[in-house]
Amino acid sequence: MAKRRGGMRKFMDRRLPSTFKIQITSMVDMFVILLVFLLKSYSTSPVNIPPSDKLTLPVSTSMKDPVDVLKVVVSKEGIFVDEKEVAKFDSKGEIAVSDLDANDTNFIRSLYTELDHQAEKSKSIAKVNDTLEFDGKVLMQADRNVPYALLRKVMYTSMLAGYSDVKIAVMMQE
Amino acid sequence: MRKFRHREVDATFELNLAPMLDIIVSIVPMLLLSVVFVRIAVVETPVPQAVQKAIEQSENKNDVQIQLSLSKTYGFKIQVMSKGKTQDISIAMKGEEFDLQGLHEKMISLKQQYPDVFKMELHPSEEVPLDKIVAVMDKVRTRTKTDPVLYFTDTESGKKVETELIFPDVVFGNVAGG
Repeated sequence: MAKRRGGMRKFMDRRLPSTFKIQITSMVDMFVILLVFLLKSYSTSPVNIPPSDKLTLPVSTSMKDPVDVLKVVVSKEGIFVDEKEVAKFDSKGEIAVSDLDANDTNFIRSLYTELDHQAEKSKSIAKVNDTLEFDGKVLMQADRNVPYALLRKVMYTSMLAGYSDVKIAVMMQE
Repeated sequence: MRKFRHREVDATFELNLAPMLDIIVSIVPMLLLSVVFVRIAVVETPVPQAVQKAIEQSENKNDVQIQLSLSKTYGFKIQVMSKGKTQDISIAMKGEEFDLQGLHEKMISLKQQYPDVFKMELHPSEEVPLDKIVAVMDKVRTRTKTDPVLYFTDTESGKKVETELIFPDVVFGNVAGG
């Protein structure tokens, strides 16, 4: 019997160091907390704005969710339609005179050409697909310091191109 | 006693958390990629169409029209047109800043005077930046908790209905000129 016990002890001494279990309970606890936090801040918003010092949106108390429509960005650098640059600003942050129409200084020619092209595209899709309709909605993401003079030019041009329902993107106040 | 001990050993087991950890580890990077710390909203600002405006004006000659002009030189100018009469209200600048609280109080009193009007025309000057325009629109859109309760008359039932909104329909009146 004593011999057998000694054999058992030998076996356990040899075996114990190789069989151990990692305590993952606390790690799972931590991950569950992280998961809940991430799920809370999960967003399915159609508007994604990468952080940039060229575009800081104004803060508002509005709670209306953004819609997935054509995006016009007015940053400190220039005007973009769906990430395509249509007009570039000079060092003072003003639009070049060559981009404006000679007879109508509120009319940005390059912006009109691009918006008109987008409108034609949407209308041709709407003709084939009954579920889609051209509703003239445009989401304007403009920097908070952009003066109204420039915004007015953008809105005026988009109105002439058929986009008369302008929505201004803002940062939700917490 | 031996039997009891044997049962006690059987009752203690360890939960295998490894598969759960596997799932969490694969979900966390996906959520980390789609996480947003800035929530985006929109402010509706339809541009008035010339034809539509003309139709509205001819249809509602007795209607009340409220115009708000803002400039860094004179502050706010409110023009209320009702039944052919025009009333002008001015709110001066508070130093370098717009008197937003003064504007909010004035808008609350105007809403009490004209409870069924929800539309307002905004005429900002060229030098006013976007964040000031958005701040003004916020002030004229909804009442705060400290403001008096606002009511409007429901056109179908004729009853008074409580509302949080002051002038939520803001249109830029001077986009097409003027």
